Amino acid sequence: MKYLPLVWASIMRKPTRAILTLLSVMLAFTLFGLTIGMNATFAKVQADARDDRIFAFARFGGAVPIALERQIESMPGVEKVASSSFVGGYIQEPKNRVFVNVMDENIPKVLPEYPITPQQWQLIRDTRQGILVSKMQADRWHLKVGDTVTIVSPATKKLDGTNSWIFKVVAVTPDMSIFGQGYMFGNYDYMDKARLLSDQGKTGQFRVKVSDPSKTAEIAERIVSNFANSSTPLESITEKVAFDVSTGTGMDIASVDREVALAGMFMVLFLTANGLAQAVRERFAEFATLKTIGFSDNGVVALVFAEAAIPCLLGAGLGIGLAAIISHVMPKFLPPGQGLPIPTMSVMVFVWAFICAGVVALISAGLPALRLKQMDIATALSGR
Amino acid sequence: MLRQIWIVSALNFKSLRSRFWQSMVIVVGLAATVGVMLSMLSVSAGMRQAYYASGDPNRAIVVTKGVEQEPQSSIARAQAPLIAVAPGIAKDKDGKPLVDRTLMTSVPLLRKDGSKGFTTMRGLSDKGLGVRPEIKIVQGRMFQAGKRELIAGVGAQTMFRHMQLGDKVILPDGEWPIVGIYATGDQLEGQLLGDTETLITTLKKPAYTTMLVRLASPGSLDTFKKAMTTNPALSVDVVRHSDWYKRVGDQNAFGLALLGYVVGTVMAIGALFGCLNTMYSAVSNRGREIATLRALGYDAFPVAVSVILEAMLLSVAGALIGAGIAWAMYDGKLDLFGNVIFHLSVSPHQIELGVIWAAAVALLGGLFPSIRAARRPVVEALRAT
Repeated sequence: MKYLPLVWASIMRKPTRAILTLLSVMLAFTLFGLTIGMNATFAKVQADARDDRIFAFARFGGAVPIALERQIESMPGVEKVASSSFVGGYIQEPKNRVFVNVMDENIPKVLPEYPITPQQWQLIRDTRQGILVSKMQADRWHLKVGDTVTIVSPATKKLDGTNSWIFKVVAVTPDMSIFGQGYMFGNYDYMDKARLLSDQGKTGQFRVKVSDPSKTAEIAERIVSNFANSSTPLESITEKVAFDVSTGTGMDIASVDREVALAGMFMVLFLTANGLAQAVRERFAEFATLKTIGFSDNGVVALVFAEAAIPCLLGAGLGIGLAAIISHVMPKFLPPGQGLPIPTMSVMVFVWAFICAGVVALISAGLPALRLKQMDIATALSGR
Repeated sequence: MLRQIWIVSALNFKSLRSRFWQSMVIVVGLAATVGVMLSMLSVSAGMRQAYYASGDPNRAIVVTKGVEQEPQSSIARAQAPLIAVAPGIAKDKDGKPLVDRTLMTSVPLLRKDGSKGFTTMRGLSDKGLGVRPEIKIVQGRMFQAGKRELIAGVGAQTMFRHMQLGDKVILPDGEWPIVGIYATGDQLEGQLLGDTETLITTLKKPAYTTMLVRLASPGSLDTFKKAMTTNPALSVDVVRHSDWYKRVGDQNAFGLALLGYVVGTVMAIGALFGCLNTMYSAVSNRGREIATLRALGYDAFPVAVSVILEAMLLSVAGALIGAGIAWAMYDGKLDLFGNVIFHLSVSPHQIELGVIWAAAVALLGGLFPSIRAARRPVVEALRAT
């Protein structure tokens, strides 16, 4: 610790260089925080996915008769089935996209982990046009309890010939990581009875809860085969598979994120290694002096390492902090209704950032340290 | 003046070798920035291109009023004849209007790695090929109207299992054989095509999805549109097909493009600080040389310009390396996103973007050091060790 002033003086000898290096490191770690934080969000969604639930929906697109809910529930091994559909549209202008997920009364039993109290669920039963609006969505559209909101949904026509859906905010509820930009939950029954007669009695998807998690995949297959010859063949996917980003699309987003973070680290490594090599070269004679007055080889190496580690660790801390701020304000600037994920600064993100910072510092200090160890004090002192 | 810039810059470039590793900070920084950015943008650009290529200014799409994506649209079967008789539609040699009643639905398939995936199955009606002449059968034959047969796109064939000639796709009323393979050069290639009327019956769909018409001439859009929008029996939007796909492509690729630009910007700012760092020390290392030049009568301006030129050269070299890596790794690779299949793209246009990005970094990163270099009093610099 007592050598800290010495290390600090070395770093601040060229303040411009020190500050620029720090800023560079900071930005690389901001990127690191955003990408690895994105992966942390994916991991959390994946970890939160329940192994006892299945999504079931129409195999060839479109809506499913709600009557199938009872039929699926009567299958052996199925504990409870709930259904949800949605009203997709916009508020005032087409760019203000919103979705209201309309839930039937079984949803609270099948999705018990949602941060919504039984009283709040009851509110959308008591007020047919009621919606639960998450904090993020409430902020986005400046909504508070008691407000009325009109959503224009071109694809969902109403019985009265219009497509303006009127909802009433009955509660503002906490956000969840699976809804990166927040959510709105309404009453399925209201939506169903208000739309065209030809569309009534149909829903978007079923959420199936099984009693034995080890049978989930098997039951998912059985749902498909049971309804293969019905008038609405079903397709199913277990929640674990559905929430795994690596299977959601053709590319593995998580590994893309890691590659981006790595590219940033590579850039920083190059920068700090160069900066340090230059700094040591410039002060070669001084290091010789330190050795002359009794610093051991390891002592000098430790000083160099500290000189590398301070900007790296400080930059990592600042960078992750900036990433956290960006993640916090990001939802406000993203186009609504796209379901874009928001990075999470989990403990693991910090741990990995500091490990990477340490590794960068270690590698950067390596070559200069070697030179210092092998230096010939007399030659170095004479400035040759 | 130009001569002075040239001489000072040449001197700088000649001494680059002695500052090799330091200069590499700029090269590596920009290579990483541009490489990562273009790799990420290859997805959004490829997707956008696939959509853009699908549109045709000679076609118009009829969709439910207000919808933004094809699958959300629904055109009642009874409305189809009203649309077909409208003015402005091209006729085939028998005088029949070229109208394609489209049905769109998703169909679950197995991806090459064995996992579940979905693609679009599209119904094409009797005049479908007249409306979409870009559909070319490359293997087998076209499906026959009224028969339970499908043809598969070359993209779908690459991404999914069991998409060869003779393979079967399970639909509600049994297995439909794949009788042909088609190519279009756009995102339609990732789909399956069958006969609209047969599909609509089999899948018990209540309505068509959209209508696609071939216009008598690109200018007849207004005639057709007017007839559609003034008909009280219809509540539809009519959009030129190329405009429709331009909007859909931009909209669907927006999130991915945004991500690419955010990452590119953060990295570019990081690289900018690296560039400033390198150029400041380059200027301070050469303080005496610069002062000597100034003492010999060179202006401050060429000295400043030469610093920026050096940063520019290094940055652009880095950008080209990064772009080259992104191009080699991703350009032309077939990818699946959601249920859109397309080729990733690192086009000359994007490489240009990468170079502009790098040049901007170099300009900012060279500007402040160049001012310092130019402003430093000659005597002081000459005395400095």
